[in-house]
Amino acid sequence: MESFLRTFSDQTINGLVIGNIYAFIAVGLALIFGVGNLINFAHGSVFMVGAYVGWICMTWWNLPLAVAFVVVALVCALVGMAIERFALYPLRGAPPIAPLLATIGVSFMIDQAVQLLFSRNPHAFPNPLIEHRFQVGGVTVSAIDLLIAGVGVATALTLYAFLRFTRWGWALRATAQDREAALQMGVNVNAVNRMTFAIAAALGGIAGLLVGMYFNTVYPTMSFQATFKGFAAVVLGGLGNVPGAVLGGLLLGLIESYGVAIFGATYRNLFAFVILIAVLVWRPNGLFSLRPRVAQEPLTGTFIAKGRPVPTPKWLIATLIGVAFVLPILVPNPYLLQILTNAWLLGMVALSVTLVTGTAGQTSLGQAGFMAIGAYASALLVLRLGWPFELSMIAAAFISAILGTLLVFPAFRLRAAYIAIATLAIGEIVNQVILNWEGLTQGAMGIAGLPPPSLLGWQMIRPHEIYYFSLALLCLAALVQWRLVRSPLGRTWRSLREDEIAAQAFGVNLNRYKTLAFGVAAWIAGLSGAVTGHMYTYISHETFTNTTSILALTMVILGGMGNLLGAIVGAVTLTALPEVFRGLADYRYLVYGLTLLLVIRFRPQGLLGTD
Amino acid sequence: MNASNGQPLLQLKNIDTAYGPIQVHFDLNLHVHAGEIVCLLGGNASGKSTTMKVILGLVQPLRGTVLFDGRAITGLPTPQIVRLGIGSVPEARRIFAQMTVRENLLMGAYHRKDRRAIAEDYERMLALFPRLKERLHQRGGTLSGGEQQMLAIARALMGRPRLICMDEPTMGLSPLYVDRVLALIQQINAQGYTIFMVEQNAHLALQIAHRGYVLQNGRIVMEGSAQALLNDPEIQDAYLGEKQ
Ligand SMILES: Nc1ncnc2c1ncn2[C@@H]1O[C@H](COP(=O)(O)OP(=O)(O)OP(=O)(O)O)[C@@H](O)[C@H]1O
Ligand SMILES: [Mg+2]
Repeated sequence: MESFLRTFSDQTINGLVIGNIYAFIAVGLALIFGVGNLINFAHGSVFMVGAYVGWICMTWWNLPLAVAFVVVALVCALVGMAIERFALYPLRGAPPIAPLLATIGVSFMIDQAVQLLFSRNPHAFPNPLIEHRFQVGGVTVSAIDLLIAGVGVATALTLYAFLRFTRWGWALRATAQDREAALQMGVNVNAVNRMTFAIAAALGGIAGLLVGMYFNTVYPTMSFQATFKGFAAVVLGGLGNVPGAVLGGLLLGLIESYGVAIFGATYRNLFAFVILIAVLVWRPNGLFSLRPRVAQEPLTGTFIAKGRPVPTPKWLIATLIGVAFVLPILVPNPYLLQILTNAWLLGMVALSVTLVTGTAGQTSLGQAGFMAIGAYASALLVLRLGWPFELSMIAAAFISAILGTLLVFPAFRLRAAYIAIATLAIGEIVNQVILNWEGLTQGAMGIAGLPPPSLLGWQMIRPHEIYYFSLALLCLAALVQWRLVRSPLGRTWRSLREDEIAAQAFGVNLNRYKTLAFGVAAWIAGLSGAVTGHMYTYISHETFTNTTSILALTMVILGGMGNLLGAIVGAVTLTALPEVFRGLADYRYLVYGLTLLLVIRFRPQGLLGTD
Repeated sequence: MNASNGQPLLQLKNIDTAYGPIQVHFDLNLHVHAGEIVCLLGGNASGKSTTMKVILGLVQPLRGTVLFDGRAITGLPTPQIVRLGIGSVPEARRIFAQMTVRENLLMGAYHRKDRRAIAEDYERMLALFPRLKERLHQRGGTLSGGEQQMLAIARALMGRPRLICMDEPTMGLSPLYVDRVLALIQQINAQGYTIFMVEQNAHLALQIAHRGYVLQNGRIVMEGSAQALLNDPEIQDAYLGEKQ
């Protein structure tokens, strides 16, 4: 009992300390959401920049800790202002989904830039504090715990005083409450927006520094996790609610800490994702708000801009398919065929994204989760039950359709920006479950030795064989989807996209049609995942990540939302681009991020126009 | 009060405005002289609020110019227009709901730098609006509709504007507050503030205005002194007949 109590109080301290850091991240997100009505996916990247800048200050320059804090805050504030100025300011007036996607592009670019500069590997972050542990009333507290708590309290008080008693603070609050009214008081809301980014980024950077010191390490992938922990905390507290964000951060830290104590460390990341979805679905205004505050209206719509599809005559499409089929004969270059095979398989995923996001209007960032379900289903059916690949592949597609739709189902009532976050979280949950359900999936080890795809005894080992197989699947998927989209079902899907309320008023059962859209999409993505898995012969919880999901959405945006040919053109372009310019292969995500930013800014309807 | 000669304080010249493909204003012309109360009358969706937004730079017209004190202000950002001396009492009041009454009032003087004069104005407002004084530390959102309207007007006055644009200041108020607001507008006009107000309720507006314009489907279809408009049979039919 004694030891249980001790563990409990230690976990509490631990949870509060981590929660303190989450609160830092969440407050920044809440400020940005409050002022700009924007969900900032680049926040974790700024956090990571803060961690690295702190690491440089301490290990390269041997600066005192206090100076490091100042440098981190300043550098990150500048980064935040630059993001606002160059990526977001030009998009004012665009639909809200545009800046959201732009922040995704920015995060790709920052994350890759940091990787290029400092390598993918973690760096050790020395703890500058004395390694002393204090016993306070039966609880063990370390110096770093005290530092984090102190910085947290001091920052909270400073922020409170700033918002409450300064001219700029008033301007910020006024803008957050009513942008147009603030303008009419003479507030330069653009400057307020930039300042908000600076403050949020400085807070995020400080959090990064603290995390680096706490875990004694910095690494590039800490970025995405931070973004998500921040989202979870901010959603717990109610979007745009600053005190709520602090409480949400602390609560999340505690839940994680107790959860890890009970279930084990590999479960750590699962809690945030589950909380995120649960709160979004059941208490979209957060735990602490009494009245609804979520602004539904301005966050609807998935189209960045409407544009007619570029006319594509039948003969052109026929020629393109013809070229694709004779290509292995004309250019039997295995490297090229391999790249194009990837493009076909990702093209299927892009088709599935364009179906839910373009046609049915439900922004999905979780498509890789469906691929993972398909890949694992097929792998297990083949390896454990000895099914032939032909059968397992089809079964995997159906399993992905059913499981995927069930997973997304609770999020059906959410709209554009919220469903984007929810689907991203669902994709992560799939991977977290794969990681933790060792009995079924072999956990972190992954599954090796998948047989290559085969058809009636014909094993597809050589590049052109799998090339043809995936090309055929892609064409088939595109044909089926084309028929669906042109049918009355397609018209109903588009009515959801245009106006859910109106569609409902005309008697459309929203859930049924969303189920159909996600079902078909998860079917196609699951099929692609199954083939991809067998092609790789090895899969793990890191094979189909949110990066793939975001990449698929980028392809769709590049090609033109809802445009089937556009999805495929986008897939080919983005898969091939970094390879064509060999020098770019290392800068892959820089290219993806930049593409996303440029398309949103200069050709929001995509290359081939929306449909 | 020189109602007809000299350069107007505010002038809209040949304004065309559109939201995307939907045109709202067609060759709008109107002016306001210093010291006047001018009202813009018109039915639902006739483009009254859009006129206010054009003046304040919240919406850019397709064509035409807005002159303030002889200077073209079309295309200037809203904060700059506010600094030139145009205050606003927006449609539906737009009080900062989470800020206190005091903070709301001082937000009205946000663009001013003269701290001492701001403090004086603040005291004047508290004297002018005893209801607000009692509620200084309450959040704006907790006030009643009428109190919020008073706060919106006081907030605009805190900016020491040379022209106040009011968008339907009596909308949604109880009859008691409607009279109070109208009397207040007359009172501040007597103190030298120029007022351009939008109203649906022609009868009320013309009681206190010097001149008026009638906006119909984005065009000015009638203008004249308040007296002339009140007596105009067409106005009586269209706006006064059934109302009041
Ligand atoms: N932001 C906007 N985007 C598109 N159309 C708009 C927008 N604001 C107003 N409109 C349209 O412009 C027209 C004029 O609107 P406006 O608000 O100026 O009218 P109003 O005379 O103030 O009406 P009300 O009596 O309802 O206040 C209306 O048809 C309205 O639907
Ligand atoms: Mg109006």
